Amino acid sequence: MRRRSTRLLAAAAAICLTASACSSTQHRGGSAATSSSAAASDNGPHKKGGTVTISNEQGQTWTCRFNPFNPAAYLESNGFVYEPLIFVDELNNSAETPMLATGYQWNADKTSIVFTIRDGVKWNDGQAFSADDVAFTFNLMKQVPATDLYALWTAAGLQSVTAAGNKVTLTFKQSAQPYFYFFADQVMIVPKHIFSAGDAAAHPDTWADANPVGTGPFMVNPCSPNNIQYTANPNYWQTGKPYIQKVEYPAYLDNGPANLDLASGKAQWGSQFIPGIQQFYLGKSADNHTWSPPVLNVSLYPNLDPSHKATSTLAVRQAITAAIDRSQVSSIGEGGQEPAANQSGVVLPTFQKYYDASAVSAAGYDKPDPAKAKQLLSSAGYSPSHPLNLTVITITGYTDWDASLAVMKQELAPIGINLSVSDLAQQTFDTKLFTGDYDLAYYGQLTGGPTPYYELREILDSANTAPVGQSANSNYERYKNPAVDALFDQYATADDATQVSLIKQVEAAMVKDVPIIPVTESVDWFQYNTSDIGGWPTQDNPYAQPAAFNFPDAGQVLLHLYSKSAQ
Amino acid sequence: MKHVLRRGGFFLLTLWAALTLNFFIPRFMPGDPVNALRDRTRGKVSEATLQQMLSSFGFKPNQNLGQQYLDYLGNMLSGHWGISIGQALGEPVTSIIGQALPWTLGLVGITTVLAFGLGTLIGVVAGWKRGGRLDAILPPLFVVTSALPYFWVALLLILMFSVWTGGLLPSDFNYDTSLVPGLSPGFIGSVLQHAVLPAATLLITSIGGWILTMRNNMITTLAEDYVRMGRAKGLPARKVMYGYAARNAFLPNLSGFAMSLGFVISGAILIEYVFNYPGLGYLLYSAVQNVDYPLMQTLFMLFTVAVLVAVLICDLATAWLDPRVRAKE
Repeated sequence: MRRRSTRLLAAAAAICLTASACSSTQHRGGSAATSSSAAASDNGPHKKGGTVTISNEQGQTWTCRFNPFNPAAYLESNGFVYEPLIFVDELNNSAETPMLATGYQWNADKTSIVFTIRDGVKWNDGQAFSADDVAFTFNLMKQVPATDLYALWTAAGLQSVTAAGNKVTLTFKQSAQPYFYFFADQVMIVPKHIFSAGDAAAHPDTWADANPVGTGPFMVNPCSPNNIQYTANPNYWQTGKPYIQKVEYPAYLDNGPANLDLASGKAQWGSQFIPGIQQFYLGKSADNHTWSPPVLNVSLYPNLDPSHKATSTLAVRQAITAAIDRSQVSSIGEGGQEPAANQSGVVLPTFQKYYDASAVSAAGYDKPDPAKAKQLLSSAGYSPSHPLNLTVITITGYTDWDASLAVMKQELAPIGINLSVSDLAQQTFDTKLFTGDYDLAYYGQLTGGPTPYYELREILDSANTAPVGQSANSNYERYKNPAVDALFDQYATADDATQVSLIKQVEAAMVKDVPIIPVTESVDWFQYNTSDIGGWPTQDNPYAQPAAFNFPDAGQVLLHLYSKSAQ
Repeated sequence: MKHVLRRGGFFLLTLWAALTLNFFIPRFMPGDPVNALRDRTRGKVSEATLQQMLSSFGFKPNQNLGQQYLDYLGNMLSGHWGISIGQALGEPVTSIIGQALPWTLGLVGITTVLAFGLGTLIGVVAGWKRGGRLDAILPPLFVVTSALPYFWVALLLILMFSVWTGGLLPSDFNYDTSLVPGLSPGFIGSVLQHAVLPAATLLITSIGGWILTMRNNMITTLAEDYVRMGRAKGLPARKVMYGYAARNAFLPNLSGFAMSLGFVISGAILIEYVFNYPGLGYLLYSAVQNVDYPLMQTLFMLFTVAVLVAVLICDLATAWLDPRVRAKE
């Protein structure tokens, strides 16, 4: 990156010399923006042209590293420059879009999968893409374990990856169906001719990859610490796409400036929480819209370890879940921007088909019931006159969570729970949560998958927990139920209908044991401006997760966007 | 000479103590780099893999702490400052700092000099005409503004000059990102334009201190016999004011100034944060957030060295300027 900036300086100096007057201010990549060469007739419904600016606060200036194996850098390259085999749409019943593979075939017990690799795809340096590149990418993860981000060669039991003609075969030790999302959608295919030579071959995990060579719709051109500019890949394999010719991705250090640029219209694609969105953003222009689809739960995590007497008592947890008015928390605490969750742990409406409404209402958790909560709590020995004192830990700076907890505090007081909120710095919070050093924690898992299975397994599978004092993977409440573990194990080989019924059985355990108490649903923050740009994902057409930090979904969104002024 | 040697020895001792604290204090902080990275990757990647990833970038948590400390001291002194294991995972620390340093020096450095110069001048004039109109308005006004929290002033300025005016002055970044950096008038203009609001914030909140100390020094000095003598001899007012009073009143302020120059390098964290200004202060904030030991310890080391060097130079300069300091030996 340093090299690039000096080259730019040199270029500017050269212009000064030749033009003999140092007075020209250069704008970046001026030529790409004006191209509107491709006609709509045979290439697709939209003409090329236009620029979209992303406002996604990442709290850092860009390092101009694009290595898809570097988890601190891959958000800016995955989907933009690098592409997966198959795109899986988490928001639309796992609808699949073939990308670098045109299709795939499982064997009967799902221990082996054959991908058919697309012909006629070129890397953006002009070299041809082939099945060899795909096999190379997966085998690289075996040679250099640090690049195997999704533990395919270890946890998933991948045993061999071979290419023959335009077919690539992945063979696993056991059924790998739950890992399909990871190896087909999350692993980005890298070019063999780049990653098998020089520094990239020596250290594929730490290599900078400042000029990424991918098959994707965009190329980095250029990157500076303040801004990444992407220009359209002229030889992209989807003929006529992308319509948008330029993407600007400024480096925002904080939500404040990022949101100001959204409100002023300087940026069109927003991906963070905007407080008071109606007044601050939506009211500013009729072209400003928001649609933030729920994907995960934000829950109270009770500590189930017997050393924490109150929270490991079932009646106490039942009382809390019965007492909380989730729609109040949603509307007051989250300003209505995050919907209310439910005790089943299934995120609605995203995963509607997995939801067992009758199980929730049969247990009486479909609406708040303070009277029942009071009764449950008194059976555990607490009452308003002899209240239970509980401390809930949360993260400093998450002001919406603070507001939500204030609402819950009010709702729990009348039944006899005296909730006190302890705001902790992120790092301190993490340490306490991971090691189980808390009574109640307010937290949401950070990543899910295309079905509720992924989040629920993270939270409930006893393989993801650890004794108090040791760091747990994701089962922080320390829930251990062999019957639930078995359900997750069966899921791997089950067909679609059975998977739904297995999830419903997990929901039954959620309702019966109340291992965690889902309160609101966390969303993919998404705001968009339609004055010049069209083709955004919407509730009616949820073709990808809409936030710019979702990968490879961001690439899908960019393939749909078009500029109205260029038409 | 003995004075200089003693100062030099003290400098080395302080440097060693500061470096040692810089090494140990961050490691006593809660949290570790692996968890920080886990948060930033939204839990997609397992802890074991992240650990592996970080160790390929040179993070060795399991090594003997004594050994790590010795390596650290050697690396700090030899300039091998390592590779970031935080937000800019994999980027050499020198290049991260190299990008941020000029912006902080430019913004905070120039503003500090400006605040000092202006504040001193106002202080001299206000002190000279004690009770005058200027003295009645400016010192109290700036004492009030310097008591305001500067992030609040920053937000207020953004609201007034950027939001209400429809973007008259830019409220974020150090230059218009659509421009190619270079020595063109458009680029330089853009840099200056982007510096107006943050610089104004710093100026408004820091000038009060200089005015107040300078004014009070001035008043004390004006009561001295040699000033009265100068006046009695019928010297022009301007000469008494600058040559007799201000020159002597200025000395304590100068050492304060040397100190504050040392602090310039640490930037103004909140200002850089509010204005999205990619300088060292922001860098420090994000290094602490992400438990980025290599970046954190290098920044702390630079801050320490900058302050110590500034103090050392100030000591030496005072010894050179003021014979009484030397005479004490």
